[in-house]
Amino acid sequence: AGAETWRGWNIHVEGYPNTVAMDRFAELLDEKTDGEITLQMFHGGTLGSQPDAIEQVRLGGLAIGNFNLGPIGPIAPEANVVSLPFIFKDVDHMFRVLNGEGGQMISDGMEAKGLIPLAWYDAGARSFYNGDKPINAPDDVAGMKVRVMNNDLYSGMISELGGNPSPMAFAEVYQSLKTGVVDGAENNWPSYESTGHYEVAGYYSLSQHLIIPECLCINADIFNGLSEEMQDAVTEAAQESAALQRDLWAEREASSRETVEAAGVQTNEIADKTPFAEAMAPVYEAYLSQNADLRPLVELIQSTD
Amino acid sequence: MGLLVLLGLFGVCVLIGVPVAFALGISAIAAFWYEGLPLMIGFQRIISGINVFSLMAIPFFIFAGELMFHGGIAMRLVRFASAAVGAVRGGLGIVNVFSSMLFGGISGSAVADISALGSILVPVMKEKGYDADYAVNVTVTSSIAGIIIPPSHNMIIFAIAAGGGISISKLFLAGVVPGVLMCLCLALAAYLVAVRRGYRAETFPGWVALALAFLGALPGLMTAVIIVGGVLSGVFTVTESGAFGAIYAFLVTLLVYRNITWENFRIAVRQSVRTTAMVMILIACAGAFAYMLTFYRVPSRTVELMTGLTDNPILILLLINLVLLVLGMIMDMAALILICTPIFLPVANSLGVDPYQFGMILLVNLGLGLCTPPVGSCLFVGCAVGKLPMEKAVRTIWPFYFAIFLALMLITFVPAISLTLPGLVDP
Amino acid sequence: MTDPDDSPRHLGAIDRTLDAIAALCRIITGVALVALTAIFGWLVFGRYVLNATPTWVEQVAFLLVMVIAFLGAAVGVHEHTHLAVTALRSAVPARVRAVLVIATDLAMAGFGALMLLYGARLTLFKWGSQIPLIGLPEGLRSLPLTVGGGLILLFSLGHLLRRAQRRDLRRDTFE
Ligand code: NA
Ligand code: NA
Repeated sequence: AGAETWRGWNIHVEGYPNTVAMDRFAELLDEKTDGEITLQMFHGGTLGSQPDAIEQVRLGGLAIGNFNLGPIGPIAPEANVVSLPFIFKDVDHMFRVLNGEGGQMISDGMEAKGLIPLAWYDAGARSFYNGDKPINAPDDVAGMKVRVMNNDLYSGMISELGGNPSPMAFAEVYQSLKTGVVDGAENNWPSYESTGHYEVAGYYSLSQHLIIPECLCINADIFNGLSEEMQDAVTEAAQESAALQRDLWAEREASSRETVEAAGVQTNEIADKTPFAEAMAPVYEAYLSQNADLRPLVELIQSTD
Repeated sequence: MGLLVLLGLFGVCVLIGVPVAFALGISAIAAFWYEGLPLMIGFQRIISGINVFSLMAIPFFIFAGELMFHGGIAMRLVRFASAAVGAVRGGLGIVNVFSSMLFGGISGSAVADISALGSILVPVMKEKGYDADYAVNVTVTSSIAGIIIPPSHNMIIFAIAAGGGISISKLFLAGVVPGVLMCLCLALAAYLVAVRRGYRAETFPGWVALALAFLGALPGLMTAVIIVGGVLSGVFTVTESGAFGAIYAFLVTLLVYRNITWENFRIAVRQSVRTTAMVMILIACAGAFAYMLTFYRVPSRTVELMTGLTDNPILILLLINLVLLVLGMIMDMAALILICTPIFLPVANSLGVDPYQFGMILLVNLGLGLCTPPVGSCLFVGCAVGKLPMEKAVRTIWPFYFAIFLALMLITFVPAISLTLPGLVDP
Repeated sequence: MTDPDDSPRHLGAIDRTLDAIAALCRIITGVALVALTAIFGWLVFGRYVLNATPTWVEQVAFLLVMVIAFLGAAVGVHEHTHLAVTALRSAVPARVRAVLVIATDLAMAGFGALMLLYGARLTLFKWGSQIPLIGLPEGLRSLPLTVGGGLILLFSLGHLLRRAQRRDLRRDTFE
């Protein structure tokens, strides 16, 4: 077989953990396949938004993509389960689930839609931030206008906490936080820092309500068309890049936290997160009544240690 | 070879008279086909080109502008403006520049500026004896103030592309002086061209007439107050403020001026839809075209070529300006910010150029690109608003390009212009 | 050029049909623009007066913009209002000009046909997944492009037909 060129998508900029890891994946791919496969990476989301890039990988225009499972949810229902608030206890719990039967069920759901996850990347935990006060109990969220990503689960989460969910384009969030069009938003440490949102919303409350993994995905037809030996090489390269990404991610989280705290951000641990998690019962109920077939997966995740 | 298909076919289509929007679409889809990429992705890019939230402000500002125009607000605004500064030669040209400075400071979108101000001022300027090309030139070039003067969503895109470490509020502050400087250069150009063409100054009508004109214009002027005040006080976002501008303009013309009739309203809607659709289909097809340019790595190849030429810092900065200008001529702004920032920012950093200053250089360059053929959304909209063929507008636009270029050179080689204000306010 | 009244009756009927379709599109896009403005008013009203931001506005707004853009663009093709560079056309002899105009209409018809075909495939591909927060099929996003493509094809064929009948009364943009 002649040498093949694949194209890959990644939304992050140069120097970001995922970008470095994707470049490493390209190198490893070249080494492990003896130059049979070359991966040309397009960083910075230059080939389109995340939902568009997911579609491009499914259609085969791109071979590879680094995606968050959030926007995969509307396509593969199994992947949407990880967008349930408080479904994972922490990041380690998430990886234990993904490396077990739960991860397999999500993979199968994605493969049915033309995407195969080769490895799982870390995107940390998302927490609330706002400009007014620390959040310690659901009551603190009551009446607050909180920007959320476009997903019924996220807007349901804010509603159940008594807040006012406000879906809003990412580019408008900074200005809206500054002027008070919204009172708060939620994200992980590195995004909170790199978007500058910490300049206009100085209270970061460690709610860790969403822990959504990322995947290094490949077009299913391309992967299934490879020899078994090649498939192993590709998977191995992906796993090694994921190990690197998780290390870099941990470093980046720490340095981002340091940066924003040095700039005067007030961080607070939430002593008891149970009231938040318990308030999510109606969200789970509504979700499971619409997706009854996913109940086993949800229960499997909840029962995983 | 594929790149040749893309650019060649685009050139041929434009030349034989295919509308520019469709020339972009046709050549892009042909390149998709040539590369064996799924054509469905080509059409996905066309849809995604306009599936962008910040573009939503465009129809609103166009609609508000049409309502203000057909409902008599524009006429009263301009009556006031010419009473105030009409006594200067080329007064309306200067009014045009300074309204952009104020309006652009609100909207953050150059195209929205042209849609709103251009649809008001260009017809009035024509009526007052200014040539259409002059009116369009002033409107088009001054509109890019909206990108440089804060707030500006393009600055936020730059900060994100720079990968952290850039404070958006500091970036906003950095834009104030360069934005005003650019407007001063443009106002000077507008004045000089007006003198050369012998546009007459109007006579000063006296203080009473000025006060009356002001009172007449006040309810209309409130549109701006509502938009600025609403955004600054945090009542709504820029996009929402556009919708409110339209709703307010409708109510004022209906209840206060009583100029709006069902017939007027229908014309305003019809014109707005026509202009909006023309702009949107162009941005949409440019999305597919830009995808193929990125696919062929045109931006990064250009940089490789450039850095191979010299290592003199002044020459490299000039080269960066040149490359950005050329890329800006053929590609859309947001895509270019995302592509060029990670490539050029490290180069600029290594030369000791401050990232905030570099942001201004990038934005002014790409802003200028919005006013140039063959791909310049501001120029397209300006020509549509002024009902003028593009080649006619471009023939006499040089003094205004030169004014922006002058500002660009000052911003490039005098760091204090960008850095003093953020240093004072936010050290 | 012949007077339109002299043309065969069935051609008059085709013209009237195309004009009626364009008029219908103008009504649809006009209503879409007014609706777009109104729902943003409702958004702000909901946030402050009801303290419940309507979460469907952003996604519905995207669909309305698509309708305005693609149906409006098709009307623009029918009415020749799109920006085009006409320098070459106006510089060449009438015979060459005719060739350029026919080539333009053919290119537009072809592009419209591709929009129709691949837009339809995209719509079907995405019909199964849902647009978040409004629960409508994701395929709706590409439906305006599909319909707009069909209309561009139709209107371009109309131009070609009129030219074949020597009834092309077009004036170039802004001439
Ligand atoms: Na202006
Ligand atoms: Na341009």
